[in-house]
Parts: sequence; structure tokens; C-alpha cells
Amino acid sequence: MALQVYTASLLKEGLVAYLALENGHPSWTSDIHQATVSEGDALDALKKAAEQSEQENIVVAPYAIDVLKTEDGIVAATKREQIRADGPTIGLPQDNLRESRQAA
Amino acid sequence: MYQYSEQDHQLLLERVSQFRGQVARRLKGELSEEEFKHQRLRNGLYLQLHAYMLRVAIPYGLLSSEQMRTLAHIARKYDKGYGHFSTRQNIQYNWPKLEDVPDILDDLAKVEMHAIQTSGNCIRNTTSDPLAGVARDEIEDPRPYCELIRQWSTFHPEFNFLPRKFKIAVSGATHDRAAVAVHDIGLRLVKNETSEEIGFEVYVGGGLGRTPMLGKVIRKYLPKQDMLTYLEAILRVYNMLGRRDNIYKARSKILVHETGEEKFRELVEAEWEKIKAGGLFLRDEDFKWVKGFFNDPAYEALPDQDADFENLMLSNADFARWVDKNIELHKQSGYRIVYLSLKTALQPPGDVTADQMDAIADLADKYSLGHIRTTHRQNLVLSDVQLKDLPALWEELKALDLATPNYNHVTDIISCPGLDYCALATARSIPISQAITARFDDYDFINDLGDVSINISGCINACGHHHVANIGILGVNKKGTEVYQLTLGGSAREDAAIGKIIGPAFEADEIVDAVGKVLSVYLESREDPEETFLMAYRRLGQAPFKERLYG
Repeated sequence: MALQVYTASLLKEGLVAYLALENGHPSWTSDIHQATVSEGDALDALKKAAEQSEQENIVVAPYAIDVLKTEDGIVAATKREQIRADGPTIGLPQDNLRESRQAA
Repeated sequence: MYQYSEQDHQLLLERVSQFRGQVARRLKGELSEEEFKHQRLRNGLYLQLHAYMLRVAIPYGLLSSEQMRTLAHIARKYDKGYGHFSTRQNIQYNWPKLEDVPDILDDLAKVEMHAIQTSGNCIRNTTSDPLAGVARDEIEDPRPYCELIRQWSTFHPEFNFLPRKFKIAVSGATHDRAAVAVHDIGLRLVKNETSEEIGFEVYVGGGLGRTPMLGKVIRKYLPKQDMLTYLEAILRVYNMLGRRDNIYKARSKILVHETGEEKFRELVEAEWEKIKAGGLFLRDEDFKWVKGFFNDPAYEALPDQDADFENLMLSNADFARWVDKNIELHKQSGYRIVYLSLKTALQPPGDVTADQMDAIADLADKYSLGHIRTTHRQNLVLSDVQLKDLPALWEELKALDLATPNYNHVTDIISCPGLDYCALATARSIPISQAITARFDDYDFINDLGDVSINISGCINACGHHHVANIGILGVNKKGTEVYQLTLGGSAREDAAIGKIIGPAFEADEIVDAVGKVLSVYLESREDPEETFLMAYRRLGQAPFKERLYG
């Protein structure tokens, strides 16, 4: 049984978010390491909380993703979800330009 | 440029106000995501991998300096300080917040811009030749026709819910710089062989994506007065018969293919017979009115040489290289067309920072009559630069990292945003383009290779136009690993062709070497430097390339 977390996009900002459940209270965080990891039947609680958040117009289109627990923390299992969690693998253009000019 | 009428302004303000209300209702929960999604897409707003993405229309790639400054302002105020010019001559912002989008649209409306019909199953922004009106090989300026199409297609009630999106491109020159053969409708201005009158050659059913097809010539010559009635007939046939049951078979290319070219032509002609004399028939006064917006500027009478320019060409190799690669002759003596390369190792292809946008707007005012064009190869153009100003402009562009001498050369790579940004992508494309640029970023090598195109797509939807590159790269996900398929022999120009897959895909750390091998075969096998990569490939076929790649 794979470990999973719930992810979605925040309605207002569109940004990637992960579901954290603490004492049954849901919150959404941009940090995958703060997400609540679950598996099997225990995922139902996450699913219900995610759907509730969707109905309350906090997030859009929640879904479960497979994750791995590593010594660096929780890591998404697929490249797509790793990029969602960590952001684009390329720098912002202005940062790249600035670094290049400083190096010159 | 076309100037909005009072009615145009009113229409846009009402649309922004309408969308502002829809956003407010969505945020309050009065609209579900399912209900709202169709509204936001009709206003160019996608939900992508990391955030919302707003696609802003740049009608046939024309921008004023004022509009460019507004794009910079939006990038700075509402986004992360940059924008991305796309292969459809539009600009995309990758990080806007939903609650800010109505304000962004308000700012755009102030400079006669919008995001309407940049998404959804409707007629999208019409694209054209970035050298329209200034090219030496032009038969007639396509911009007035583009504007007529823009006005006809915007909010066209009958074509608001087509089976699938619909793209139109118009070219007015001998050389095709608008990729007309890979659009749902491609229009090429041509001269009638007998009457010498100007009209259109009409292509239908072109497109890329998972089933790439070149458009078929449905009419060799269409009088220009009939342009809109004929477009209406094509769209009506497509709207009636295009498939709505299967998204993968809904584009016009599938309908034309499955119906058959001849039968499709008959259907269009039959429909056209019914409407050709109707209200969309274009009268002389219609042309006179619309052409009035695209009159030549007051060009100065200048000699086509300049002593300072010539001296710098002789004394400064870097300047000479830039002139050789990024400058084209202008129809007007004493003027030149300047390509601003958005392809460096430092920036994703097509990305421009807000500071660069502001500076480009200033340069356009200073050197090019206040206008900028976007190209489908994701570069920019200053179209009206005096020859004597080239040295000064070059110095300013160098300081902005916009003077890389590589236009239409190997590092002038088209790339979609790929898996770094796009929710549909299956592999990254920008890092591959940057790795290729880093490997081959040597002027002598680039110069020796000559005219060659590399395009990269991060999924089968082919937004990076890989099918029509001389060397196309398609990223796919194979059992969790990003791999890259090579296609060779494509072209988006007047000799349009769909490239062919050369063999099994390469892993990310192999693909740059694979491209290097392909280029080596070309350099070793060409008959002389005048034989371009595409010419050599067409002569040699796949065999020597396959042999080198897979031995």
C-alpha cells in the first residue's frame, strides 16, 4: 500500500497546497513536508477533509499523490509532483540574468 | 495599428466588468469550479501546474510601446517580474492570483488589449508574418486582413462553441514566416496568374498535436472580397460536422482528413454559394477603411548606406556577426528590420523580464517608430530601424542580453514551457533547450551550421512545434522517466513538412549528444555550405543519421 498525501491548488492564488490534518482540523500548506501522510483506509479521513475544503472554496481539484518517506522528508513519487512541490527546475529569468551579470 | 472605436472600448469594459463579477461570485462560492472554469477559460485564464496562467492576446503579433510598458507593469505588479512570449505570438503570465485577474484585464483594456478567445473552443488570436508591411518579399500587407478577421471572429456568436479550438494564420509574402500550413485555416496572399489581382490561396485542416497534418489547399485563388464569406463557410461546415464526441478527433484536421479533401471542398463551396453575396462580402470602402490603420509611417528618404555603420562592420566582429544574423533588409531604403533574440543560455526561450520589456519599449520609441512585433519563433522584432542607428541600438541591446546573434540558427530554439510549468506536459523542455544552447553556443559553429531549426515540446500536444522543426524533440514520460524522441526533416515554411521519428527515444542526459551527432552527420555530408540541413536531409534520407545515432 503506497503512502499518500492530498494536494490541490488554492482557489485564490492558484498555488500548490498540501493537506495537513491536526486533531481532525484541516489546513493547507505549501510545504509537502508538513503534509499528513496516510495509507489504506486511513486515507478516507484525508479525502473527506480535502473534499470539504473544496466545497468551502478553499482549494480546487484535490487529489491524492504517492509519496516516499526519505531521510530528507516526504518526497513525491513522480517527477511531475516533485516539480509541483519544489517549483520549476529552472531559475526565474531575472535571477539568471542578475547572477550572470554579477559573475561578469 | 488598429485603433479601437468607442464601441470596442465599451465592449471590452463590459467584458472585464462581467468577469470581475464572475470572479467575485466564484470566490464567494456562488459559482462552482465546474461552472467557473468555462468562464475563466473564455478569458484566457488557465490553472496550471503551479498557479493560474493568464494568456494575453497580441493581435497578429503587433504591440505598441505603450502596450509593452503595460505588459511590463503587469509582470511587475501582479506576477513574478517576467512574461513568456508563446508560439502563437501571445504573452503568458505564469503566476497571477485569481483575485488580481480582473484588475489585470482592466489595465490591459486601457491599452486596447485583452485575453478574450485565447483559450476555449473558439477562434483564437489570428497570427501573421512578423515582418508584415516591411518585408521586401511581400506581395501585400496581411495586417488589414488580419484585423478584418479579428473583428469578424471576436465574439462571433455562431462560432463561440466550436468542436475544438480553431487557429487562423495569414501570410502576405513569398516566404512563409507565419507557418500557414499548420493552422486550421492558412491564408496566403497571392497574385492571380491571369488577372494580376491579389487574392488568397486557402489552406484548411492543418495542425500539430498528436496527429500532425499539413493543411490542404482548398482553393488556389480566392478574391479578397470573399475572404470573410469563405471563412464563414469553412467554419460553418466545421461547426456542423466536426466531432464533439472525442476530443482527440475534434480538430478540423481530422474532419478534413476523414471527410476527404474533395468532399470537404464541395461542402464549403456549397455553403459559400449561399452566403457569398451576403453582408460579409468585403467592399472597396471596407478595405479602404481598414487599410487606413496600416498606412506606411512617414519614412525618411535615406541612402541605403552609412559610413559609420560600414566602419563598425569592418572594425568590430561582434557587431558584424549580429548584423549578419539578426538584421534583415527593409522595403524602405535606409531602414532595417532587427530581430531581438529571446534565446540565450540565461533565459527560457520566449521569456522576457519586466525590466527588459520597459527597455524594449524605450528602444522602440527611440529607434523604431514605437512599434514591436512578436514572432511565432518566440522572438521580438523592431521593424523600422534606420541603418545609421544600428550601432547604437546594438550597444543597448547587448546591455539587455537581447543581441545574441542566432536568429534562425541552431540556438534559436522554440520551446514550450514543458513540465516546469504546464499541467499537460509529461517531460521538461526548457532545461533541454538550455543544455543544447550551452553545448552549441559558439558563434563559429552556429555560423557554420547555417539555417537550421530545433523545436522542443514537452508532450504530444506539440505546443513547441517539434513536428515542423528540422530537428524536433518530443519529451515523453516512459515508466516514470523523461525521455526524448527525435524527429528530423520538418519545416514550418513554404516548403512545410512534418518531421519523421528517427528511432527510439533518448534519456535526458543523452539527447544533447544525439543532437550533436545529427549535426555532425550534416556537416560531414553536405555538398557545400549552401546546402542547408533540411536540403541535406532531404537528399540523404534518414539512413546516415540513424546509423550514427544507433549504429
